[in-house]
Amino acid sequence: MIFGRLFDFLKVSAHQVARKRMRVFLTALGIAIGVAAVIGTVSLGEGVRYQAVEAIKEQSDLTLIEATADIRGGAIQFITPSKIDELAAVQHVEASSAVVREAYTTKRQTYLEVVGIDPGGIEGVIRPKFLRGENLEPGSRQAVLGHDVAETLQRYEGVRFGDTIPILIRRYDDDGMPVDEEVQFTLVGVLQERDDAFDQVMLIDRRVAQDLRGDEAAFDGVLIRVDQPEEVFSVVDDVKALGLTAKGAFQQIESVNQLMDVVVLILAFFAGVSLIVGVLMIVNTMVTSVFERTREIGITMAIGASPADVVYLILAECFYIGLIGGVFGNLLGIAFTGAINTFGKPFIIAQLGDTFSTFAEGDITLITPEILAIGMVIAIALSLVSGLYPALKAAHLNPVTAIRTGV
Amino acid sequence: METIIETKHLGKAYNDRVTALADVNFVIRKGEFVALLGRSGSGKSTLLHILGGLDAPTSGEVWINGKSIDFSDRKALIALRRESIGFIFQSFNLIPALTARENIEYPLLFNYHDRVARRERATDLLSLVGLGDRAHHYPREMSGGEQQRVAIARALIGDPLIVLADEPTGNLDSKTRDEIFSLMRQVNQEQETTFLIVTHERELGRRADRAIELLDGRVVS
Ligand SMILES: Nc1ncnc2c1ncn2[C@@H]1O[C@H](COP(=O)(O)OP(=O)(O)OP(=O)(O)O)[C@@H](O)[C@H]1O
Ligand SMILES: [Mg+2]
Repeated sequence: MIFGRLFDFLKVSAHQVARKRMRVFLTALGIAIGVAAVIGTVSLGEGVRYQAVEAIKEQSDLTLIEATADIRGGAIQFITPSKIDELAAVQHVEASSAVVREAYTTKRQTYLEVVGIDPGGIEGVIRPKFLRGENLEPGSRQAVLGHDVAETLQRYEGVRFGDTIPILIRRYDDDGMPVDEEVQFTLVGVLQERDDAFDQVMLIDRRVAQDLRGDEAAFDGVLIRVDQPEEVFSVVDDVKALGLTAKGAFQQIESVNQLMDVVVLILAFFAGVSLIVGVLMIVNTMVTSVFERTREIGITMAIGASPADVVYLILAECFYIGLIGGVFGNLLGIAFTGAINTFGKPFIIAQLGDTFSTFAEGDITLITPEILAIGMVIAIALSLVSGLYPALKAAHLNPVTAIRTGV
Repeated sequence: METIIETKHLGKAYNDRVTALADVNFVIRKGEFVALLGRSGSGKSTLLHILGGLDAPTSGEVWINGKSIDFSDRKALIALRRESIGFIFQSFNLIPALTARENIEYPLLFNYHDRVARRERATDLLSLVGLGDRAHHYPREMSGGEQQRVAIARALIGDPLIVLADEPTGNLDSKTRDEIFSLMRQVNQEQETTFLIVTHERELGRRADRAIELLDGRVVS
């Protein structure tokens, strides 16, 4: 019965709207332009976001993340053997390996960032491609160098593949005086360039690192390989749920998203200002329409309509204005983004520079079904809100005076 | 015959100065066809609006079908209009955006009826008022007389006890006026619907069962 009435009201209002096609269309166009502006700017923002994220995915090792100790409410969550097991059991973790992080200096004072990791972990988690040589042998004082650090050592210290790297490890004696112990590592492998942090890292066996630190159970983090890029954020959430911190290339995506959220919001806000014009147009049209139909509304009440019925009849007309506005807004918005892609893209790429050269391949705007649905909802919701004042005005008409109004 | 409308000391004043109705007392019985006569400004429309629950009196009572009307109860007034009253006005009665048949069905939008039954009833009424072939015509495509016939059909669709008509023939030529008048008389006799019809013209008044005449807001005969 409710639907029956809704249908009846929509039908009557469709007749009313059809009678004033031109006026309704022009009014709807006002809201349509606002919707198109919002769609255009939001889709541009979303497009840039998408392209930036794709660029990050392409240029970095996204599925590699590292879980590290975290401070929660003053208490440190250490990497313990049980945490390591729990991390390994997280869904979509393909491989994981506990690591020790150290900072060593060579005898000639070159600073080295060191990661102690099981050779199996290097293979399963870091997945290295060797420029030279091969993986570490378990338990031995061997080193694999990242691409950049290998270059640095060769240039400044003349260390070549197969050479030993003399390293000074600072210890403190019983009196608290620093004593440097010299340790030799054999360079057994050099990695290809990866464009990530491992280019700067010297990899050594975990047990050797723990040994040199003098603490068998010291872990600084767990490197994790996620099985597919789509699952990275779910694994990150699970890591956080274990009370640990997660680091990795995904953080760049997070910061792009945060930035783009703000950018899109601000763009949409300014575009949304044009919606106010559309709202005012609807209010104006509907107030005029109610005024013109004063007598008709009086008669409608005389033959049994309640004030609420009158409100629904007017709102149903506004619903159509919103519907038309939404459809045309979406079409205009699509056309608008098409124009941005054709004429605006070369300019934007030139401004962003090389990092975003991948932009050239795809569209710089992104229209999703959600954006179009939101455009539709905005148009209809604003039309209904705009219709509220005229509808209440109509419902408050005194039927007697309305009927006495000559036509 | 049972009483269907009764007014007791009915009065209506505007701003304590203009007195539209003063101490109006009369009784109309079920099935009567009554003419309401009076000069312009004598209070005929005001009386009709009060009887139909559109306007409230400033004094006195209205009884319809044995019940006193509570003019402060908006819901009851709406129910009265939906269930017991059919209104016909002088002109521009119809909704321009709707066809003849949709206009006739229009009151039932607010007093929901089964759609199929509603349509059948509207079609029957169109034939009754002699416009069986004009169902899909819009008001602007019909003559004044035809529009009034549609208005009569619309007033009848809710099976009202009473039809209140405010100068339904006021804008028509004399021949059409006779036809419309006869049509209402026919409905009155066939369906025993009570009619109260405002008119300027005494000769039409003579063709009614009886006439009530107002002068300056008072019943004079
Ligand atoms: N809103 C109002 N404020 C003040 N006076 C009013 C108002 N409405 C009606 N009146 C007065 O009430 C009196 C009765 O008016 P009403 O319309 O009922 O007369 P009527 O008999 O229907 O006249 P007509 O034949 O011209 O239609 C008139 O004097 C009119 O001026
Ligand atoms: Mg009058």
